[in-house]
Amino acid sequence: MKTSKLNIALLGNPNSGKSSLFNHLTGLRQHVSNFPGVTVDKKSGTILLENGVEANIIDFPGTYSVYPNSSEEKIVINILTDKNNDNYPDLVIYVADATQLERHLLFATQIIDLGLPMIFVLNMIDLISEQGDILDIKPLEKYLGVKVIPVSVRNNEHLDSLTHEISAGAQQIKGLENPIKYVFTDVENFVATRIQKNLSTTSLYTAKVIAHHYKWLSHIDEEQKNKIKTITEQSAFNDLNLQVRETMDRYNHFAPVVRETIKVAKREKKSLTDKIDDIITHRFWGPIIFFAIMFLMFQSIYSWSSVPMDLIETGFAEVGILLTNSLPAGWWTDLLVNGLLAGLGGVLVFVPQIAVLFLLISLLEESGYMSRAVYMFDIVMRKFGMNGRSMVALISSGACAIPAIMSTRTISDPKERLITILVSPLISCSARLPVYAVLVGFVVADTDVLGIFNMQGLVFMGLYLLGIVGALVSALVFKAILKSENNSFLMIELPNYKPPLWKNVLLTVKEKVTSFVVEAGKIIVLISIALWFLASYGPGNDLEEATTNAQNISIEKKLSEQEKDNLIASYKIEASYIGHLGQWIEPAIKPLGFDWKMGIAILTSFAAREVFVGTMATIYSIGSDNDEQTLRQKMASEKRPGTEINVYNPATSLSLLVFYVFAMQCMSTLAIVKRETNTWKWPIIQFVFMSVLAYVGSFIVYQLMT
Amino acid sequence: MSSERTLLSLLPGESAFIEKLDVGISTCKLLNLGVLPKAKVTMVRKAPFGGAYYIKLDGHQLAVRTEEAATIILENQI
Repeated sequence: MKTSKLNIALLGNPNSGKSSLFNHLTGLRQHVSNFPGVTVDKKSGTILLENGVEANIIDFPGTYSVYPNSSEEKIVINILTDKNNDNYPDLVIYVADATQLERHLLFATQIIDLGLPMIFVLNMIDLISEQGDILDIKPLEKYLGVKVIPVSVRNNEHLDSLTHEISAGAQQIKGLENPIKYVFTDVENFVATRIQKNLSTTSLYTAKVIAHHYKWLSHIDEEQKNKIKTITEQSAFNDLNLQVRETMDRYNHFAPVVRETIKVAKREKKSLTDKIDDIITHRFWGPIIFFAIMFLMFQSIYSWSSVPMDLIETGFAEVGILLTNSLPAGWWTDLLVNGLLAGLGGVLVFVPQIAVLFLLISLLEESGYMSRAVYMFDIVMRKFGMNGRSMVALISSGACAIPAIMSTRTISDPKERLITILVSPLISCSARLPVYAVLVGFVVADTDVLGIFNMQGLVFMGLYLLGIVGALVSALVFKAILKSENNSFLMIELPNYKPPLWKNVLLTVKEKVTSFVVEAGKIIVLISIALWFLASYGPGNDLEEATTNAQNISIEKKLSEQEKDNLIASYKIEASYIGHLGQWIEPAIKPLGFDWKMGIAILTSFAAREVFVGTMATIYSIGSDNDEQTLRQKMASEKRPGTEINVYNPATSLSLLVFYVFAMQCMSTLAIVKRETNTWKWPIIQFVFMSVLAYVGSFIVYQLMT
Repeated sequence: MSSERTLLSLLPGESAFIEKLDVGISTCKLLNLGVLPKAKVTMVRKAPFGGAYYIKLDGHQLAVRTEEAATIILENQI
């Protein structure tokens, strides 16, 4: 079904400034959805034409040519060869970088041959005059046969006339009368003519493109696929050679046009980008600078987001108290406060970290640094079945795996991307810190070694290293197991450095935060409610008995009101479903040195790891005021039933720490993995392998130490 | 064809003209990125841990892997 609204497509190569133009044209009237059936982002919005009519505008993924190399490019070609597609454009706005005109013309001439009406936007003309080059658009307009509009999106030059031209172009859409830009060989002509007859495609060139890609085009049915297969095989249609021939032929035709359009002035020997790259991609300094930048990024994520995170946490706690006090007591108030509100808080508390991380990542991306990092670390990451781009994701995981996993979309090879997604949560994230902080004191004393190192600091570092080693080893295993489609390549542009456009950066941050809150939020809130239920209810009348017991003991021991409440809470969680579950799994976790109380903490930690501290506080009935000092004292005096052995001895504590290093205890991450891989298969596999790793790791540690 | 000189034979700082590309899966992508016959290519540097090269073409820069660079055949005279 095609809507009556006009569909305008923004097309162009990556780095053409296409998205900046999209942001300019739509402002905040844009939203992100998926192209049907795939997880490729579809950014669309509306623009108001001069005659008062609204038109849809879609920002298609950056594409180099009709012969695609990535899944994103394939989506574009699938749509452009299918005139019945919902997203098939009525008008194309093609954006090209004037300083890279020759390369960017390739796809433009192909789109014209597909029979699509076009307005050609020549972007970045400010750089042309800066370089002292002379621009004359007439030869280009004559060659293409479409309107050419020189603009600079960055400097807001000529953008008004662009809006005017779009309105004019949208009013009288017409295909081009001028002949096709590419002259077919006999084989191509024969094949394309026959396919065009079968499919009644818009143009002969569309038929040729279908001849190249029919195998994966979703709008070609099986019967037609067989027909096309026969046609191409009978006429010895050589896919690869003809792609290369066409591309070469196009370049040969427009090369002279490019020389007429832009008269290039003499260049300085070394551009600013060259000078920057001499240092930043230097064989020795490059990696050092990279790690320094990553270190600063990591620090900023911690320091900038800690205040808003605390505010969100205390804010939700305050609202919870307010609601508890003002609403009549009952199960639904409890559900609202401890289930729904807690779940919501659990989602929103990550927003500052995600916002800061994406702010910094998109700054690096916009400025052009990211592709340098990809270039430098490609070989290292390939050894582990990943890609240069995985480096960024793995380091981001040190703050939080969620934005890290969201950032893997830039990896074009499906296998490399999947491995990166699967191993990222093994890097110790900030949520593990409170757990480490509580437990590390039970493993080693707070003493100095060799006068400079702190023992606890060393154990901390060891835990982080264990996570990194775990991630890399798992990556190697997945590399060996997973099938490869062999789509792996580097071939990446290293664009000239430029100051980032704030509008683009902020819109990216807004988009990522919204998609996290909406998509992951739904699942997190559901699981929180389930956990609330398990912790608030118990089989039969166990809970009532536990409460009565606790009350009797309080009276016997003459406890204060506060102590009494804490004791009741402690007895209640023991009698609840989750308490039963903890006792039920105790035999399974005994070889790791854990008792049922730790079992409960591990189960509730599934919501998020930092819940460990709160759960322990409830179990040891010190109230859930999250005071780590009080909790530690209480835990330190805990003895095994009937013995004088400390429960939290070094062996148990280290075992528990190792468990937290490896275990997948974060439903938000699982939710985001489900979203990014579009199936429950991978989050389940991830949960299983990380649990096995955690179990085996803890088992070895505990058995070796006892 | 063993006498063919590929991009890999250039030392950092050296330039040459491209004669042709060995047709394979990476050819179209290289052409899309402006690696064209008759174009001048400069080897800028090798990646810190190897495996990839920073190359410069007319007005823009690219990174290519060793396998990809091996398909870029250079003209013999500089």
